Amino acid sequence: MDKNIKILIVDDFGTMRKVIRNLLKQGGYTNIVEAEDGVVAFKELKSQKIDFVISDWNMPNMTGYELLKAVRADGDLPRVPFLMVTAEALQDNVVQAVKAGVDDYIVKPFTAEVLAGKIKRIIEKYDAQ
Amino acid sequence: MKYDNVINLINDMASNFMVLDGQKVDVPAAGKLLNQLEEVIKEADAQEIKPLKRVATGINSLLEKIVLNAVEQKEGGRAFGEGLIRMQEISSSVKNKGSYDEDIEEYMQSLAELTGSTLEEEEKPGAENDACKVENESPPETGGREEKFEVQDESLLKDFITEALEYIDEIEVNILNLEQDPENTEYVNAIFRPFHSIKGVAGFLDLKEIRDLAHILEDLLDRVRSNELPVNPTLIDIILDGADVLKEMITSLKEILDGERDVPAVRDISKLRHRIDTVDQRIDSEDKAKKLGTILVEDGVITEEALEDSLKIAEGPPRQKVGEALIKGGKATPKQVTGALRKQAAQATNADTIRVDVSKLDDLIDMIGELVITQAMVRQNPVVQGSSDEKLGRHVSQLASITSELQRTSTSLRMVPIKQTFQRMSRLVRDLTRSSRKIATVEVVGEDTEVDRNMIEEIYNPLVHMVRNSVDHGIGTPEERVKSGKPEAGLIQLKAYHKGGNIVIEITDDGMGLNKKKILKRAVEKGLMKESDILSDNELYKLLFLPGFSTAERVTEISGRGVGMDVVKQAVEKLRGKIEVSSTEGKGSTFATFFPLTMAIIDGMIVRVGKEKYIIPATAIRQLLRPLRESYSNVVGKGEMLNVMNKLLPLVRLHEVFDVKPDSENPWDALVVVVEAENRSKCLLVDEVIGKEEVVIKGLGAGLRNIEGVSGGAIAGDGNIALILDPGSLFALSET
Repeated sequence: MDKNIKILIVDDFGTMRKVIRNLLKQGGYTNIVEAEDGVVAFKELKSQKIDFVISDWNMPNMTGYELLKAVRADGDLPRVPFLMVTAEALQDNVVQAVKAGVDDYIVKPFTAEVLAGKIKRIIEKYDAQ
Repeated sequence: MKYDNVINLINDMASNFMVLDGQKVDVPAAGKLLNQLEEVIKEADAQEIKPLKRVATGINSLLEKIVLNAVEQKEGGRAFGEGLIRMQEISSSVKNKGSYDEDIEEYMQSLAELTGSTLEEEEKPGAENDACKVENESPPETGGREEKFEVQDESLLKDFITEALEYIDEIEVNILNLEQDPENTEYVNAIFRPFHSIKGVAGFLDLKEIRDLAHILEDLLDRVRSNELPVNPTLIDIILDGADVLKEMITSLKEILDGERDVPAVRDISKLRHRIDTVDQRIDSEDKAKKLGTILVEDGVITEEALEDSLKIAEGPPRQKVGEALIKGGKATPKQVTGALRKQAAQATNADTIRVDVSKLDDLIDMIGELVITQAMVRQNPVVQGSSDEKLGRHVSQLASITSELQRTSTSLRMVPIKQTFQRMSRLVRDLTRSSRKIATVEVVGEDTEVDRNMIEEIYNPLVHMVRNSVDHGIGTPEERVKSGKPEAGLIQLKAYHKGGNIVIEITDDGMGLNKKKILKRAVEKGLMKESDILSDNELYKLLFLPGFSTAERVTEISGRGVGMDVVKQAVEKLRGKIEVSSTEGKGSTFATFFPLTMAIIDGMIVRVGKEKYIIPATAIRQLLRPLRESYSNVVGKGEMLNVMNKLLPLVRLHEVFDVKPDSENPWDALVVVVEAENRSKCLLVDEVIGKEEVVIKGLGAGLRNIEGVSGGAIAGDGNIALILDPGSLFALSET
């Protein structure tokens, strides 16, 4: 599998972005872009080819959920794999995200293994289609 | 064929369904199914196909549980498939026969068991690591600690500490904002979010203590967000205390990293936890409307003993209402009781308000200000004045009274109680005493006193410095206090009341009072006076407000911030306020600040010098008089003086200060306004006193902002511009 895919990490907490970046590195992914909220992330998505989005839910200005909806609603953007990071699997949140077209969700805290597994599975499914 | 779209939808779902066959849930496919189910439910509801709606709703929640890994997949998938088949049956049967008669109870029962009971067997061995934690709060232990530690390098920890501390600062600011504006959900979110983020990262870094506390606080905020809890002082206190403990935890982590400490300080958060757990009851009891008896006691109608007696009688037998018992017992008249009842009702309907954007309010008040001016211009127009039309005259005066009423009402719109400012002060005292090892209780009087919302923000800073001052220099340490026969805990009283057009805020401490000898000594050292000078107490205390004058013997954490009383005084005067100090040695000191109720309007006396008009703030005026020739003297070294009631006061010739040509140069031909500022009085020489008027203050714009002697401008009734005089700086100007 291509480990050189460009992954966008969206989180308002800088340390959290770093944590995810480190975990990705452990999984072999090093081509990483960061954004501090949905607004910035959306701009990044519009301006360059992003292969995978890992986004937090809770952010100022534009939440992860709003970002997901905006990405899915935008006709110009290809369907990009979207992994939502949530704190607890709050049923309402997860179901909302699933209905909005998220590819999977992951619950904090998670290990590098679990993260890499999720990414791999999602990418494989995209490749199969 | 109205069922066709439902049938198509269900058929489509059935063909998509295989996505659930795999080892893991196909999330996007499940999302599509959920959306389709939502549509089916809507349709079934609209067309009143009850069994279809029930099955669809049932498998909808089943699928939600499957997505959350809360239902075992194979079994869940089978039940979901069966549901789809049932739905197909129902829809085609309804289409062909108009009804569906099969029994679905058994299937519904099995669905309920599946979605309801599987929750218990959540943590199955071998369950996926990120398995659902719908209710469970502990982090997944599977996947192991070691792996989590891989994430934890020191630079990451350091980043976390820095960022988390910044977040807590942000939280504190927003808590204070929330206290001022409890309805604003933006602030709730802005407090919730950082707690949430801190919790998330702490989970990765395996900082269990921090994560748990952040989690509790986040939950609390979440309940506020969902309107489960109201924002009130109890809640604010808990959040503040929680943020404090969290900060301590993170700071101690930092100290460990920096090698300043090797063992983490043990912190007991059980008390805080308990307070949070019981927050509902606390808030309930606090929000309840005051009891009738309490109102009567507070109003001084009855004594507490009388109330207790009547309460006993009211309990019966025969049982009766408290009010009844009071009236029958002759403790209160029916009128007093109904009055209290009405008061109680008013308290209960306190929520009968609407929220309005402050900027809209400001605009409204500005516009009304303009209206007042325009109205005055119309009234004073020569055509109107000279008109003999009685009707016009009547209408114009009616217009005048309506506009002034409108203006009064509009300014009252922006009035809010000083309560929240006082609460912030109390909090400040708590924090300050903690860091300076002093003990103090805060007593608040008159917290319902109202003041312009725009003023509240302005007066906060000077008040903060004065409260700091009281804690730092006022109350004294517990040892000092005990030595002089006082209780260990100092008392700081915050008191607000209206006086004239001002709100007066007094900050009183029961410390040692100002040490006059020390002030004197210091003043001589600084070369401000000679030892032989005799000063009144007032003049002596005024020295405290001179730049660089401080009687603090040592610089403490609090007072060492470089803000002296001179800055406070400047801030207060900028708001057209003043400070008065009174003190009794050994008993304590009071700093009283006077602020205008609003920044928008000033009650002023319009005076004329030559062709120019000036407005003197009414609060500063002591007297108006036409001086006698004999009372005038020109004292060598002191300049021109007037004898006003046996006191020699300096004469300020306004025409000289502002360089205009006056009608008369001689004081005895003109008029004199005695004006007081900064504890001294001077006589302003003017040609004519036109009258008293409430004027709307207009800023002079950036270019003219710092003109000495003038604090702003106003449009007078005749449409001309008049400058508003600032007595304090005018005095200074006249002395140069």
